Amino acid sequence: MNLTTSADVRHARGQFPAWSVKIVLALLVVIGGTGCGATPPAWFRLNMVEATKQKLTPDQERQVATLMTAMFGTPDDPVALPETGLDEAKLRLAAGPVRSDIVGRKNGLYREHCAHCHGVTGDALGPTAAFLNPYPRDYRPGIYKFKSTERADKPTHADLTRILKNGIPGTSMPSFALLSETQIDALVEYVKYLSIRGETELGLMRAYFELDDDAEGKLPETREFLVGEVLEPVAEKWKAAADALIPVPEMPADIDMVASIAKGRELFYGDKANCVKCHGPTGMGDGQANDYDDWNKTIVEWTKEVVGTDDKQWANRAHRVLDGDSLEPRTIPPRNLRRGIYRGGRRPLDLYYRIHAGINGAPMPAAKGTVPPEDIWHIVNYVRSLPYELDGELGADRPMVARDRF
Amino acid sequence: MPTCSRNERSAPAVVDTGVRRARGAVARLGLALVFLPLGSGCGDGRVGQPAVDADAAERVRTALVTSTGGVAETGTDAAATGTGWGTLKGRFVFAGTPADAKTLAVDKDTEVCSKDGVKLLDRSLLVDPSSKGLANVVVFVRKSSRVKEAEPPATPVVFDQKQCEFITPVFAARVGQSIDVHNSDPVGHNTNIAGTSFNQLIPAGDGTLFKPEAETGMPTMVTCNIHPWMKAYVVFRKDGYVGVSATDGSFTIPDLPAGEMLEFQVWHERSTGPNGALGLAKPDLKWTPKGRFQVKIEADEVKDIGTLEVPASALGG
Repeated sequence: MNLTTSADVRHARGQFPAWSVKIVLALLVVIGGTGCGATPPAWFRLNMVEATKQKLTPDQERQVATLMTAMFGTPDDPVALPETGLDEAKLRLAAGPVRSDIVGRKNGLYREHCAHCHGVTGDALGPTAAFLNPYPRDYRPGIYKFKSTERADKPTHADLTRILKNGIPGTSMPSFALLSETQIDALVEYVKYLSIRGETELGLMRAYFELDDDAEGKLPETREFLVGEVLEPVAEKWKAAADALIPVPEMPADIDMVASIAKGRELFYGDKANCVKCHGPTGMGDGQANDYDDWNKTIVEWTKEVVGTDDKQWANRAHRVLDGDSLEPRTIPPRNLRRGIYRGGRRPLDLYYRIHAGINGAPMPAAKGTVPPEDIWHIVNYVRSLPYELDGELGADRPMVARDRF
Repeated sequence: MPTCSRNERSAPAVVDTGVRRARGAVARLGLALVFLPLGSGCGDGRVGQPAVDADAAERVRTALVTSTGGVAETGTDAAATGTGWGTLKGRFVFAGTPADAKTLAVDKDTEVCSKDGVKLLDRSLLVDPSSKGLANVVVFVRKSSRVKEAEPPATPVVFDQKQCEFITPVFAARVGQSIDVHNSDPVGHNTNIAGTSFNQLIPAGDGTLFKPEAETGMPTMVTCNIHPWMKAYVVFRKDGYVGVSATDGSFTIPDLPAGEMLEFQVWHERSTGPNGALGLAKPDLKWTPKGRFQVKIEADEVKDIGTLEVPASALGG
């Protein structure tokens, strides 16, 4: 056996003359040395979940990709049509690869600070996204949680600026307070750009279903359709945000805080404000907890449809998209109000906004309309007292220590 | 070594599978190494993504930037082609035997939601046992040239919930018309209308008004996050030309613009068509897989498109 084996090896080696080995090595050196030329330019990913959901044909996907490039440019060379209301100069500071411009100013801020989580496209599919809990925000549906405007409205420029400066406590979103005002301003503008871009893309993809049969499955490439019907309705909402501020009556200065907290507690557990249903009898988020936010629900609902379909070919394609273009859906736990961590800000005003308008994109409903403003203030005061409650109901007759809060 | 190598090569090949296998493997590896960088590394990494037609993009952008004049106001089409009004009616029946409705998992507020042992059933397929009528099919006009009642009615549509169920599983309202979202239960609910950002607390025995500001396209889902089994659908249209089939499967849409071809869209919650569109084999009405059909109604005519059979396969069995 030994003999045969060594003969095999000799045979094998003998089959390749030295010159052939040298040629292969030389080829490898040439390819390895020259590489592939420069790094290919960055590109925006198409929203494959929506494209597949709408059963777009390859031609239709190509048309959307092409129209998106026409209307918004590329990650290195962004375009903002005047109707978007965006400032292209700001976008240029945030876009493109990280580099210094002719006056030594840092460019490519989005890719330096944001893209690794939020993705070059703003689709929350950056390389680190899967490791974070909660996942980073996907800008494309144009839905934002922490803002001073009514539920259905967009956040103001100041709202997004505050998020960038303060970060989001309790999540992986850090503070960028060390950046200059100009840089933060440019990044906020770029987030709006990615958001308007993403919503426009959704609009285009959904428009195929609305086409008349004689359109032969092709969207009109006219200004009237692309700008008038798809882009402008999205951009208008962003422009209107500054006028959609939630009116907040001042909390009475002479308010009896003990009485207010007691009233807030009553509302929290009562069937009018009903906070207890989700935030739970302990306020630790132990109520209704198996729901999803809008971003994850999109994937959950669609997965059900994919699993239930008889169309095997489409299901295969859909499974590929679910694997490559979405993250494993996660439920959204109601906030544990005893930790004293408030994602959208800890000012009483921030809590007022959350309770008044609810949290867009999340199951948290608005109290507006059914709970009067003074009652909202009572709930705010009770919620702010929760991390420090001394009522013994949790078996604690002392101020809660960190261990108890988790 | 070269000598040895040449000798080995010149010798008549002894059939030796071991050698062949080894040679094949090395050759494949070499080829793979050569092509690997060409195949994957040097592209731009767009796996499973469409390519952009850069020239076409440039052309479209130039047209968007340079075309003069503002965007035409997209409002009601001025091209009114007739004067009278007509009515459309029809009836949907289910051709098949529906499976028993599933019982919903009710695990919250059971003292109200499962009062007296009542079990809540899935209502996505409601078929009247005697008439076979299929309820909750939505029929609406895709584009109307003119509307008889220009303003939405001042009376609100009542949308109520009782015993942890929305009383109307499918309903319609006009854009700008008030909806009285009510809660007749002794427990609190919240009503969350997808796509509208309306999600409000509805305290026990209370209600709130909601005015839709935009059309929904196809019907959109209404849920309660506190009681996740609660589900309904709503469609908002500017012109209000919507019919929702009743228990016996019949629907009526009055005051339609007469004398012109109207295109209708048909939807059902369980439909397997795109976005819930219900496609039927009705060539006389030019019924498409996108769930659209065409009808022309004369002035003062009550057009009956008759009994429309919906096969079980169209509703996912």
